[in-house]
Amino acid sequence: MSTILEEIETKIAGLKTSTTKSNVGIVRETGDGVARIEGLSDVMLNEMIEFPNGVFGLALNLEETEVGAILLGDATKVREGDEVKTTGRLLQVPVGQGMLGRVVNTIGQPLDGKGPVKNETFYPVEKIAPGVIKRRSVSQPVQTGIMAIDAMIPIGRGQRELIIGDRATGKTTMAIDTIISQARLNKAAEEAGDRDYRPLYCIYVGVGQKNSNIARTLAVLEREGAMPYTTIVSAPASDSATNQYLAPFAGAAMGEWFMDNGRDALIIYDDLSKHAVAYRQVSLVLKRPSGREAYPGDVFYLHSRLLERAARVSDEYGGGSVTALPIIETQAGDVSAYIPTNVISITDGQIYLETDLFYQGVRPAISVGLSVSRVGSAAQIKAIKQVAGKVKLDLAQFRELAAFAQFGSDLDAATKARLDRGQRIVELFKQVQYNPIPVETQVAVMWAMQNGYLDPVPVERVKEFQTKLQDYLETRKDQLLRAIRDKKQLDQGLEAQLKSALEEFKTTWR
Amino acid sequence: MKINKEIRTLSREMLRASFTDDRLDPGKVSSLVDSLIARRPRRYIDVLKYYRRLLRLEIEKRRAKVESASLLAPETSWQITNRLKQKYGDDLQAEFTVDPGLLGGIRIRVGSDVWDGSVRNRLQRLQQQL
Repeated sequence: MSTILEEIETKIAGLKTSTTKSNVGIVRETGDGVARIEGLSDVMLNEMIEFPNGVFGLALNLEETEVGAILLGDATKVREGDEVKTTGRLLQVPVGQGMLGRVVNTIGQPLDGKGPVKNETFYPVEKIAPGVIKRRSVSQPVQTGIMAIDAMIPIGRGQRELIIGDRATGKTTMAIDTIISQARLNKAAEEAGDRDYRPLYCIYVGVGQKNSNIARTLAVLEREGAMPYTTIVSAPASDSATNQYLAPFAGAAMGEWFMDNGRDALIIYDDLSKHAVAYRQVSLVLKRPSGREAYPGDVFYLHSRLLERAARVSDEYGGGSVTALPIIETQAGDVSAYIPTNVISITDGQIYLETDLFYQGVRPAISVGLSVSRVGSAAQIKAIKQVAGKVKLDLAQFRELAAFAQFGSDLDAATKARLDRGQRIVELFKQVQYNPIPVETQVAVMWAMQNGYLDPVPVERVKEFQTKLQDYLETRKDQLLRAIRDKKQLDQGLEAQLKSALEEFKTTWR
Repeated sequence: MKINKEIRTLSREMLRASFTDDRLDPGKVSSLVDSLIARRPRRYIDVLKYYRRLLRLEIEKRRAKVESASLLAPETSWQITNRLKQKYGDDLQAEFTVDPGLLGGIRIRVGSDVWDGSVRNRLQRLQQQL
């Protein structure tokens, strides 16, 4: 009790320093979530400014006689003639372990009705990305649990991998699958007391989404037990453009706290197309000159500075990382539009989802030809490399030959074998949503495929074979799976064990 | 009113020409305005409006608004004016008003700088910090 009294005493003593100097301005114009203010001669760019009634703003335009500011909070409380004060602070959000399991808005206020957030500290929303000295190259994998991605388009911790595709092609689902996979791995490591495993914490930033979508995502994550490792930053379509513009930066700040404390974080920006649209609105209302598609000239910088904050820092700086999975929605598959090309060029690769594939039943609808990962293969575990090294090539050749397949019988044996293999790989990579596959199971299944155990199975029964094989391995051969997981590579002993396991399984398969 | 670059440049030039020895010169201002009206360049009304705005901001920088909870003694107001003139230059004009809402103390505003030594401000800060 006495400490509280002392605290108040010191605060009162601090207030005794008589007069305070401040810099003020007068609101001349307000509307559409922005205010133009006369005065404020000492204001700095991106500084928080204080309006009456507890409304805050951000000074974005410093002009000759005026300051253009965007309003955070209730813009209707700001009126012409109001006195505005500078604060000398940057916009900051609460960060820390206490953010996990919470749903917050752009400025970190809780939206889930679970009481105030227990944050350790505050981080500025805009922060310069780590420089070259602090960084190291990507070397640890993010196990997404999606077989097609882990095998062909691997993602490493600290990478920025774009998920791009038309509406309703499973972009968000892919992101949620990744979160669920991380949660399962984190939980498994916690239960096993594995000190070597680095848990990956997830931050899902929903920008311009429908509230119903965010509620659905939350429900899925709660049902799958992923929320204890996840923070949701929500700036739904009903939020102001200001909040939508700032939400990804707030999410990045929350992720950076994990990185600075030597831990790993994964941020999903869902989606950056709507983020660009919100920024366009803010810019146009602030009367900034517009460029292509009416986006302001600095929309590239907007996304590049955001995605540059994804990094893997070297061990001297704690060895933490922030991985970014931005999502872009294309219109009718047009990847050459302004924002998609920008973000493609910024990121370290993209996962391209195709509507046609989706309706053919290939789900996740990953287009193998157009998807790449520029740095992730350095982070793949050796076992996956051993079994999946040739898969991408096999599939690409299959797509090329698939056109000939329609001509039917007069194909040589080699082509036919390649087609059969391709069809089986496609089947193998089909996966139901919210069902990530552990990496050791992926290795075992792909080993079976590489070694011809799937060749006698008819294409339409490949999925059934795979499910049964997974069941068999998980129930009867969990020792083997654990060995693969621990050794992270297939040596002769393990291959022999895999072989005997598959021979045994083949006898039961009908 | 849409202000283009031409209007802005012309008004700024006029403002620059309105000073003698770093002080606003009313004679120069009126002669500038008269000559502009006589020449009538394109959109001269907009130029005048913008010039007026720049002038207003310039004058505000040289005007001190001193608010106090009760009427100040002539001695005190003289002291305040002198100190402000030392800081902001001799052409500063001080304007004294009484605002009982301050509860006590003085609040001075010069341009966009504010020194707030009022009781109201201290109470507000106390409220925020606690």
